Amino acid sequence: MKKPTKQPFSWRRITESRLFFPLVALFLILLFDFIFIPGFFAIESRDGNLRGSLIDIFRNGSTVMLLALGMTLVIATGGVDLSVGAVMAIAASTAGILMNPSALRNEVFFVTDPSYTFQPLWLVIIAALAIAVLCGMWNGFLVAYMRIQPMVATLILMIAGRGIAQLITNGLRVQITYKPYWFIGQGWMIVPFSLYIVAIVFAFSWLMTRKTSIGMFIESVGINFRSSFFSGINEKRIKMLVYVFCAFCAGIAGLVASSNIKTSDSNNIGLTTELDAILAVVIGGTAMSGGRFSLLASMIGALVMQAITQTMYAIGVPAFALQAVKSVVVIIVILLYSRQVRGFIQWIGNPKKSAYK
Amino acid sequence: MDRKSEEKRVQMKNILSTFLQRNRKLIPLWATAILALTAYAIGASLFVGMRNPQVFLNLFRNSSYLLISAIGMTFVIITGGIDLSVAGVVALTSVSSAVLLREGMDPWLVVTLMLLMGMFLGAIMGSFITYLKVQPFIATLAGLWFTRGMCFFISDNAVTIDHPTFQILGKTKIFIPGMMEYYVGQGRPAPYITIPVVVGFLLLGFAIYMAHYTRIGRTIYAIGGNEGRNEQSARLMGLRVDQTKMLVYTFNGFCSALAGLAFSVFVFSGHGLYAPGMELDVIASVVMGGTMLTGGSGYVFGTLFGVMVLAVTQALIQFIGSLSSWWTKIVIGALTLIFIGVQTIIRNRKTQRQTTTVEEEEVTLRKKRRNLWVGIGALTFGLILIAVAVTQALPSRNQATPESTQCKVAPFRETEAAQLILEGAALVYHRTAGPECVDQLFAIFPDGRVTGTAGGQTLEKQVTAAEVEQLLTAISIDHQWFTNEIYSTYLNPCRQCYAHFISISFDGQVKAATGVDGTTAMPPGYAFALAEIRPLLPVFQSSE
Repeated sequence: MKKPTKQPFSWRRITESRLFFPLVALFLILLFDFIFIPGFFAIESRDGNLRGSLIDIFRNGSTVMLLALGMTLVIATGGVDLSVGAVMAIAASTAGILMNPSALRNEVFFVTDPSYTFQPLWLVIIAALAIAVLCGMWNGFLVAYMRIQPMVATLILMIAGRGIAQLITNGLRVQITYKPYWFIGQGWMIVPFSLYIVAIVFAFSWLMTRKTSIGMFIESVGINFRSSFFSGINEKRIKMLVYVFCAFCAGIAGLVASSNIKTSDSNNIGLTTELDAILAVVIGGTAMSGGRFSLLASMIGALVMQAITQTMYAIGVPAFALQAVKSVVVIIVILLYSRQVRGFIQWIGNPKKSAYK
Repeated sequence: MDRKSEEKRVQMKNILSTFLQRNRKLIPLWATAILALTAYAIGASLFVGMRNPQVFLNLFRNSSYLLISAIGMTFVIITGGIDLSVAGVVALTSVSSAVLLREGMDPWLVVTLMLLMGMFLGAIMGSFITYLKVQPFIATLAGLWFTRGMCFFISDNAVTIDHPTFQILGKTKIFIPGMMEYYVGQGRPAPYITIPVVVGFLLLGFAIYMAHYTRIGRTIYAIGGNEGRNEQSARLMGLRVDQTKMLVYTFNGFCSALAGLAFSVFVFSGHGLYAPGMELDVIASVVMGGTMLTGGSGYVFGTLFGVMVLAVTQALIQFIGSLSSWWTKIVIGALTLIFIGVQTIIRNRKTQRQTTTVEEEEVTLRKKRRNLWVGIGALTFGLILIAVAVTQALPSRNQATPESTQCKVAPFRETEAAQLILEGAALVYHRTAGPECVDQLFAIFPDGRVTGTAGGQTLEKQVTAAEVEQLLTAISIDHQWFTNEIYSTYLNPCRQCYAHFISISFDGQVKAATGVDGTTAMPPGYAFALAEIRPLLPVFQSSE
């Protein structure tokens, strides 16, 4: 393989890199933490496991990172998946009810035996992920084969999905007391176990999109699905694939989230996370209109979102008020990506060549 | 068959098809209207209570804020945009008006300020969409977060509204002329509507005028035409695209704020979590009213029927009684799907007429077949849903009437709890609502004495002091009671849910937190604390 010629270091090349903006944002937030929150960067080793605020960002951000991976591919095809939060709830409810079926008898007795489970763990996980994939196929069918706008098609599952999740759990909160399941979200192997899950899913999707032609197909469908069709790409199948993958990621995220709070709460698991995921992708620089995407940039975008959350918690902003802060960040990001500001930054780097006036 | 009748048949078919072609846009509208009335008729034939004209008028009373908001949304959707921030603006209006009234501001000034705030928020989102070319979906999402978040900067808890002017606005009964005399003559209470309903209908009249009889209305349709891709052509025609879009979003902000006021005088309080998921209800009712989500076509009048379908669905589920409120979500999701399916079929029909070649005809044939299958699928899905709903509903028929199962949630007895803590109780637990609508107050003392009171009945139970010690340690240390992870979350509980209040005194610290089963973001430690407490409590005869 021919090595690419090494380009000279230039300001312009850096600013045009996809990772530039997300990394700058992350750096700014961490800088703020470093100055204003004492002990934010302290990492201690407890029983051989690393703990600290920095690790918490990764651990709590794992659900958004998982969602962002799937969402990146969906957005790259020019679509959007609003139903990921609902799919998370459906997967979590399925898992919860398979481990603790007491809610089916319409009574909230709490099983307190940590070794009791109704179904073996492998079956629980497979069933939850299978249902998530089914939801993805439904979305993919509506978008690819029915030609309904992606936003509308997934909105249907977003509305009905929580109802379905409550149908599964009979409208009750299922407490998860089975201890091995807790390990998914709360286990530590030097670093949190959920990070290994994220790493595996990331590696898988990176290999699939960058080492096979699927990634190029996805970008081509996102840029112009009609011409992709005429050049022999089965755009319907590609769309189906990305929606199924997105729902699969959402299913895993649902398992992690429910294990994290030890509850299958069909009302609140994944509530508004679809927005977090979409924002992570937007911060990562993937255009909402589809086309080029970067998985790594989306992951950094997810970390930016989580770092903001963590910082606000550390300062003492209440959980619900956090949304207002996030929205301001979104607006700043939107402004940063607008053509005017981009041109201005290029102009700083090279005032003579830039078209900005 | 002779030729004449054959000709006649063809002629009839032609007349029918031209009629359908011409009124293509009206089909979803009439379908919705018929659906709403049929659903109400079915409900009325099953439940005697639903035949009461007051129940029919209550459909409007309970959804007046939805109607007001949906009118603004209709315009936004016709321009090919979307506004997800409506629920946030409604919540923000309810909270800020409640707080301003509590601070003693003049109520009419509050109303004016709220409407201006709504317009301002709408204008900001509109300018982002129009001038910075941000996708409407993203910009209004940021708006939703901002408004919801701001609510909690203003007030954490629900603020009640008891200003006399707002009470008058919400509680004035407007009797229907004609009907009133009839009912008073019979000695029965006359059916009535409230001021927000009248405001809603006035706004509807204004919106219909604006959409169909003014230049602005035509510009709005022109912008959204051709499935929302028409903006460029509208601009080239010399229409004021930017100004019109700004106007539409500002108008929607105004409608949202008005809806927020209608909501405030409906529930007489304000809280940041009010109207959860309302934006979806609003969008669903606009879609069911026959407005194309892609923009460019639809009737404001249809939105009224869309809102009615939603209201009838809710009323039916309430009357059936044994179905939980989340069935509403599933039914609305299914209905939205069916209506979007209908829209897609109509859109495909439109493209079908333009195609001529043989291959393309084959494609349209395939499309037709596909649509047929999808239609069958949607129908089966709907039938299964109805079947499940009916089987769930049947056993409850001979149970109590739905009206009696509605329960007045008793307020938390916080002062009483504080008094018990002062008297030496280690833990006070108050539980209200639930299926049997209980109101029970328990106190656990360090020496193992557990007392419970409910409606005059008093129970006592003795456990060991060690058990109490273990309980306190478990709650405060294992479930992190004295950390920030336990916070109060309170909403009106759902029909089968309990509301809990726990106050715990341990190690010289006292902390109280409230929570509700089901709909709130109850912290997990709270649920585990409940699980620890429950085995120690005495059991009342009537409950559980």
